Amino acid sequence: MSTYAGNLKKGEFIIHQSEIWQIQKSEFYSPGKGSALMRTKIKNVKSGKNIDYTYKSNESVETVDVNSIEMQYLYKDQEFAYFMDEQSYNQYQVPLSVVGRAIEFFKEGEKMFVYIHDDQPLSVRAPLSVTLKIVQTEDAVKGDTVSGAKKEAELETGVKVMVPLFIKVGEKISVNPETGQYTGRQ
Amino acid sequence: MKVTTKIENLKNYKKLLKLKNGIKSFFDAKGYLELELPVMSPVLIPESYIEIFKTQFIYFDQKQDFYLTSSPELFIKRLIAKGVKNCYYLGKAFRNSEPNSDRHSPEFMILEFYNVPADYRDVESTMLELFQHLSQILYKSNGFSYHGKKISVEKFERLSVTEAFDKYANIDEKTLLDENLFVAAAKDKGYVIKNSTYEDLFSQIYTQEIEPNLGVNGFPTVIYDYPIAFAPLCKPNPDGKTAQRFEIYISGVELGNCYNELTDWKILQKRFKKEAQLRKDKNMISHKIDYDFIEVMKKDLPPYSGIAVGVERLAMVFGDVDAIEKLQLITNSL
Repeated sequence: MSTYAGNLKKGEFIIHQSEIWQIQKSEFYSPGKGSALMRTKIKNVKSGKNIDYTYKSNESVETVDVNSIEMQYLYKDQEFAYFMDEQSYNQYQVPLSVVGRAIEFFKEGEKMFVYIHDDQPLSVRAPLSVTLKIVQTEDAVKGDTVSGAKKEAELETGVKVMVPLFIKVGEKISVNPETGQYTGRQ
Repeated sequence: MKVTTKIENLKNYKKLLKLKNGIKSFFDAKGYLELELPVMSPVLIPESYIEIFKTQFIYFDQKQDFYLTSSPELFIKRLIAKGVKNCYYLGKAFRNSEPNSDRHSPEFMILEFYNVPADYRDVESTMLELFQHLSQILYKSNGFSYHGKKISVEKFERLSVTEAFDKYANIDEKTLLDENLFVAAAKDKGYVIKNSTYEDLFSQIYTQEIEPNLGVNGFPTVIYDYPIAFAPLCKPNPDGKTAQRFEIYISGVELGNCYNELTDWKILQKRFKKEAQLRKDKNMISHKIDYDFIEVMKKDLPPYSGIAVGVERLAMVFGDVDAIEKLQLITNSL
């Protein structure tokens, strides 16, 4: 399958110089001379490397068909994160560099979607929001009323994020795993 | 497509307003004539790389096509031919077939100003003064931060297009100015050359390899003197291969495009024909062509130079905002 580069959207998988990449960002650009362009940021699904590449918007780009299958996140080691397809009990490994920083917000046993192509895992679709418990944070200092002030807090997966001052140990908060940003209290 | 209200953008929107008022106060204080102009026109200058919006006036059985203008230049140059000197337009412009993105919007605010009589170096000086004025208004200083990087508007970094290709794309002057050599160099670099013109590949390499390096060394960058194919309405240089045009960048974001205006109506006429034919070949929306414009240009015009600036982009950079949409209270999003 192929498409015009001008139609490429975030999340799609494409072939670029014989390798599979996932679109991280795409932006139409018209320089006012020569054909219109599509500026993209793409991530290699083997190495996790990000590059910027500019296509002509009318250039044909080969796309990769993928299935997204709900799987259970099992664990990670130094190199890979491991997932299990609960239908087939097949296990898949995805390089940590490909999963990105979202991995720090995954709890073992949680379900998420893994993109599969030719029975090979390409990448993981991180949920928009994850709920995690606060295990460590300082109590707010009384009288510190600066609006929007933040403090550091450690979550149950061990990752540290910035949260509003009123958040206490034991509370559950929601976080966007792609950006690591606090999005609300449960 | 729907109308979205984004009152959460109020703080950014106020930055846009402050910048817009700053532009106005700058030019008014310098004695430039502000021009209130139509955004609809019954004729247009043909341009093969800009798609247009077409609409219609209807009164009983009388019908008249109108087009939203992509730039006010057809109006402003008429006024310059009638003797108007330094002047500016700050208002809406429209470009079709360019979807919304962080730096693009089909409907946008344009600042177009002309220095008369002048050449493009004068416009460059005026831009530097404008940047300093805006930075002073917003930050009371000749510097500000954009995406965590410090930008000083004390001066511009300057380099020519040929220097830039040599430095950042490893393409020398001879290759850059020879279509066949350039296409071969693009192929060696791994670009798809099938169905690509010299102009296409130039734009692609410029965007991929040059632009990310412009305006990233602590100062805005002025990149000047483009191959003639990219500056057909600009005054040619004595080398006959490049012409007098510059663009200005901060952090890889293009903020303005300046032409040292060509005043030779015969070249202009040829250019009109070529662009109109290209529009037909590319099946673009057909429109009535502004042939009167050529008549206007037959008058002896003084040397003059003008620049078009995307005001939302300027507000994005000077206000440290990520995307045009974040400056708007009402958006028409797809």
